[in-house]
Amino acid sequence: MNQKRLAKFVALFLSVGLLVTACGGGAKPAENTPAPAAAAPKEVAIGAIYPLSGPSAVAGKDLTNGVTLAMEIINGQHPELDLPQAKWKGIPNLGNAQLKVVFADHQADPNKGKSEAERLITQEKVVALQGGYNSAVTAAIAPVAERYEVPHLNADSTSPSLTEQGFKYFFRTTPHDGSFVENAYQFFDDLKKAGTIKGTEKIAMAMEDGLWGQDTAKSAKALAGKNGWNIVEEIAYSSKAANVDAEVQRIKAKNPEFVMMASYGPDAILFLKAFKGMDVNPKLIWGNDSGFVDTQFIKTLGKDAEYLVSREVWANDLAAKKPIIGQLNTLFKSKFGAELNGSSARALQGTLVLADAINRAKSTDPKAIQAALKATNLGAGDIVMPWKGIKFDEKGQNTLGAGIIVQVQNGAYTTVWPFDVAAGKLVYPIPAWKDRK
Amino acid sequence: MPFRNRSVVLGGVGLAVLLAIPLVVTQPHPQHVLIMIFLYALMGIAWNLVGGYAGQVSFGHAVFFGTGAYTTTLLMTKAKISPIIGMFAGGVVAAGIALIIGWGCFRLAGHYFAIATFTVGQMVQIIATQWKYIGAAVGVYVPLDRQYQWWLTLQFKSKAGFYYVALLLLGAGLWLCWQIGRNRLGAYFRAIKGDPEAARSLGIDIFRQKLYALMISAFVMAVVGGVFAQYVLFIDPASVFDGALSIKVALVAVLGGAGSLWGPVLGAAVLIPLNEYTSVMLGSSGSGLDLLLYGVLIVVVSVYQPDGLAGLWDRLFGARGRILREKKVTADAAARS
Amino acid sequence: MTGVVLTQAILSGLLWGAIFALIALGLTMIFGVMDIVNFAHGDFLMVAMYVAYTANAYLRMDPLLAIPLVAGLMYLLGIVVYRYIIKRVLEAPSVAQITVTFGLGIAFRALAHFVFSADYRQVQHPWVEGRVQFAGIVLGAPELVAAVGALLMTALLYWFITKTETGWALQAVAQNKQAAALMGINVDRFFGVAWGLGLGALGVAGALLANFYYIHPDVGAIFGGIAFVTVALGGFGSIQGALVAGLIIGLVESLAGVFISPQLKYAFVFSIYLLVVFIRPKGLMGTT
Repeated sequence: MNQKRLAKFVALFLSVGLLVTACGGGAKPAENTPAPAAAAPKEVAIGAIYPLSGPSAVAGKDLTNGVTLAMEIINGQHPELDLPQAKWKGIPNLGNAQLKVVFADHQADPNKGKSEAERLITQEKVVALQGGYNSAVTAAIAPVAERYEVPHLNADSTSPSLTEQGFKYFFRTTPHDGSFVENAYQFFDDLKKAGTIKGTEKIAMAMEDGLWGQDTAKSAKALAGKNGWNIVEEIAYSSKAANVDAEVQRIKAKNPEFVMMASYGPDAILFLKAFKGMDVNPKLIWGNDSGFVDTQFIKTLGKDAEYLVSREVWANDLAAKKPIIGQLNTLFKSKFGAELNGSSARALQGTLVLADAINRAKSTDPKAIQAALKATNLGAGDIVMPWKGIKFDEKGQNTLGAGIIVQVQNGAYTTVWPFDVAAGKLVYPIPAWKDRK
Repeated sequence: MPFRNRSVVLGGVGLAVLLAIPLVVTQPHPQHVLIMIFLYALMGIAWNLVGGYAGQVSFGHAVFFGTGAYTTTLLMTKAKISPIIGMFAGGVVAAGIALIIGWGCFRLAGHYFAIATFTVGQMVQIIATQWKYIGAAVGVYVPLDRQYQWWLTLQFKSKAGFYYVALLLLGAGLWLCWQIGRNRLGAYFRAIKGDPEAARSLGIDIFRQKLYALMISAFVMAVVGGVFAQYVLFIDPASVFDGALSIKVALVAVLGGAGSLWGPVLGAAVLIPLNEYTSVMLGSSGSGLDLLLYGVLIVVVSVYQPDGLAGLWDRLFGARGRILREKKVTADAAARS
Repeated sequence: MTGVVLTQAILSGLLWGAIFALIALGLTMIFGVMDIVNFAHGDFLMVAMYVAYTANAYLRMDPLLAIPLVAGLMYLLGIVVYRYIIKRVLEAPSVAQITVTFGLGIAFRALAHFVFSADYRQVQHPWVEGRVQFAGIVLGAPELVAAVGALLMTALLYWFITKTETGWALQAVAQNKQAAALMGINVDRFFGVAWGLGLGALGVAGALLANFYYIHPDVGAIFGGIAFVTVALGGFGSIQGALVAGLIIGLVESLAGVFISPQLKYAFVFSIYLLVVFIRPKGLMGTT
């Protein structure tokens, strides 16, 4: 009896094994054989893992568009752009090898992110990885990169814990939520100094109950105490909730002047609609990027998105002070029919940083690229982002990044802080819902 | 007799092939797919004990998976206990939780039970998201073991190590399930599903038997969860207590053939590569085509093979050795005693 | 102040409760007649919302005006899904329905992504928008319309099942398939009708929801789980049960969220279900 079953077992697995071998493209050595430096390769591949389907798919599209544009800037000729890479026709130090990006979809699932990272490294032979976006997925990709000793450049996951794990191959160009929240309080302090607010404002927090939202909440709480701000309500809500009426009622009951939020796309929309629906009128709503700045936010909410304040790393009105921003936005718009936003810009910058490191490494050996990344030292003029530059500390965190604060004004994100780069003046307090239109 | 000899030979060859696969297929991604097949097959087997044999459809099995993942990981990070011990400790904890859940939910029948397991699963996820001691929403990073002392951390330099762990566990799970199937416990489980009234009149304590089924099932799920945590190296409530995981496990078992020993293995062997390779081939476009194909293929398989792939297997390769048919097994058991 | 907060919490809870009930109606209807686990319910809702959106975007139809259209198309979809897919697994072990409907759900979600992309969609210039305010209480006008629609729809469906010949036939089929067949009722046809009606009712829910809720491919997942619990709490197959259960769930969600902890609001909803079925194992009004 059991032998017969065993026989079937065997036959089954034989077929599965064959199937998998066939699908996997046959057996190849697992090691990444670094290309000899002498014979320059025709192309060099990097992998980009983003949420292309599932609940974060909107952001996924923004991110891949950013990476795609970066790839074109590197490979093609764009003399009109004021960027070092625009003059390139591929990677100069590798005999103008073309940069190829292999995209993969992680569906916002950490296990999928892990397996795609592994596949890209070992089968697509990528020399570096970019991506994650969803912090929990990035947390699963980073150990894979570490294990295979392939650099992992993260341009868009802001959970502070990611750079606290002692990873040697993990590099993050974007500031993390700790510094974003710090920015928010600096902004409040500056408003106080300017006499716009009194400094006794009550703050309510509403943040999603996942890794990212709760990391933000932790920073917001810790820094509030230090800066003497008064948090009167802390709400952690499920981003899968069908409605947030109860949450909004709690906020309404406390009648706070400020509301600080960390939300993904769908829940950001739900909250704003519920604020309007229940006539909740805080004087300022601060959002932690993500759902508040994805391309769908203003499009979906229309007028109701007006006056929302969000932390950002990017605003197209900064073009006045940094022309490259305007040039890129025009290029992006003509290609993808959408404004270049924070997600796309950060992803674009991430790919440029990787290309810069590969170029300086003069090699496709991941270890050499890691060493080059460590030595990255880009100034404000070398980069797209409105930052002081890009330089990583020993944890892999960019120390020269900076956040700005934008407000939705007339259907566009307008920089309102820091005051010296602001393109518009903060509307404060934001008008009550009944006074709008 | 000749058939039996042939089976032994085939079995030996098969085992040799399985053991040799990592030597031939050295690419980590195909190895990953195989590991996922083994682990999902094992989870399907666990689900099958309750959902297939005993007929108590559960949509909350992620609770046990997550319990195993958290127990194993926390024992390692907080008490330096090797996951090799930790995963069984997780199994015991999960069996305890299964006792509590079962004690409550087995008062319910049919869909009411199924929905109850779903709600319990959701509640456990909500609680885990807020429980500070276990890291709450932020989750737990499994520390990387750069020396690859697998006996301490279950982390291997080469993926093949993990492959063998998964294969060994699957073998053990199959053996366990087979043993249950051929002894009294299995007969009781099936009696509960087939005709609970008759079973009760025969003096079988249905409630207790269901509890046994759930506890064994939970134990196995938790072991997989413990192994899985050391594999992905990051766990958070959203991923290990995920309701979608509960459903996927049920799907593996049902697609393969609920109530059959090999069903979940077949189910996993079809479903997991389907999922992986549709997304590898079409996922990078971000158009949704990969999931469309995946969904349609699931529908097609279920429509044309509603009693699971195990049924197709039988049809193609004859009814002999039909897996765990009630009559045969009871006959076997009778012959043995 | 607290009086206002309490009243507000109760009223918005009931409002959402009615909407949950409306979504659950179709599910309980199909359950009641043929005892099938429909995992794609949330995704069918998503399809209905996209139909309403398309009618709005391309035919300039208000979602309220589009209700008959959406319900009609969903009725047809129900018949088609039954005839070509569900019918084939009826004889299989009941768990096989899990895989079929689960696969259908994935396929519809992916199809929506393929056709409409992942962007959030929103109907433009609906007739009903804004809010209703009285004595410090604020309620969304489209939500109010949806809740009223839910009550009407429940009444209509209840009347249909209990007072029409088709309804009687459906009841007969639900109670005993063999007996109904012996009485000369075409069981197969009425199974199809049950699917049609179930998805038709869901179409009404989809149009009313599309009136104020954003639409994207994963929106169904948000409501699917709640719909299952609603149906089970009310008792499988019971239309009145679904209404009462929906209202209870809305109320508990709102009160627990406002007065206890928003994080735990669904934990309370689910505990209510467990509590009820421990006392009444067939749900509030279930018979089967």
